[in-house]
Amino acid sequence: MDAQGLHMTQNTTPPGVFKRNPPIVGEAEAIEAAKNGDAHAFSKLYALHKRRVYTLCLRMLGNVSEAEDMTQEAFLHLFRKIGSFRGESAFSTWLHRLTVNLVLMHLRKKGLNLVSLEETINPSEEDAPKRDFGSRDLQLTGSVDRVALERAVASLPPGYRMVFVLHDVEGFEHNEIATMLDCSTGNSKSQLHKARLKLRELLRQPDQSAQPAAGIKEVAV
Amino acid sequence: MTPKLPDFDTMTPADFERHLPEFFASGDGRVSTDPRFQTFLKNNPLCAALVRDLETIAETAKSLLEPAYEPSDTVWSEIEKKLKKKKN
Repeated sequence: MDAQGLHMTQNTTPPGVFKRNPPIVGEAEAIEAAKNGDAHAFSKLYALHKRRVYTLCLRMLGNVSEAEDMTQEAFLHLFRKIGSFRGESAFSTWLHRLTVNLVLMHLRKKGLNLVSLEETINPSEEDAPKRDFGSRDLQLTGSVDRVALERAVASLPPGYRMVFVLHDVEGFEHNEIATMLDCSTGNSKSQLHKARLKLRELLRQPDQSAQPAAGIKEVAV
Repeated sequence: MTPKLPDFDTMTPADFERHLPEFFASGDGRVSTDPRFQTFLKNNPLCAALVRDLETIAETAKSLLEPAYEPSDTVWSEIEKKLKKKKN
């Protein structure tokens, strides 16, 4: 399957994506030059987008080595496909879709195609959020520390993490996620809800704000 | 198929919990400000607290779009190497 596939079309941009992905100064020129084979322009695009692409891969895969491999794949794929970018959506949105599809293809190749993704994205009972709906003392204080959330997301079961990253971080709609993950929109909604419940549970555990995973190079933002 | 929604004013906390993924997915994704749930949330503070927490998590998640991690320099070296190989 082509990573760009049917779901890489540019006229299905989720509302608000342009707002969340404003154009970067010099990006449009670099894209046009890269389309004409300008290697310097392509290296500029890499410099502009490497951190976001890598962070996305790392969040989806939870593994530094695989995330670096997929970052490499995403940019090599970009090099081959950049001619088809028509500028109808933000370049980063387009690049992120391409990356998400490559990561999903990679995961399917690793064995997720043996059973339907709808089943495999459901984690075990042990990983599922506890039904602590009625406990008054489980409330967060009204704010969540970004770093603590990042670490809690990293410790989510893969299925929850995938849907949470795609919806709440990347801004994809449930119908898009359902298409990408080959599951129902109801399943996507349900997984997202369980992911948020699990995060709520994790964020209340003080040791969640522990050190970042070994080997991950964190950058200031 | 979309499940049949309960009466918003008379639903139980269990009904609310069961339909919460759908409630979040409808409208603008904010249940706490949705006029349909104001009476229910006022009468069920624990449900209101849960909604606030989940909305806080979703809101904070948007800030994670900004990249937090940097790939090692070998990633670009490998890309360059492969592109050069392709050219030759």
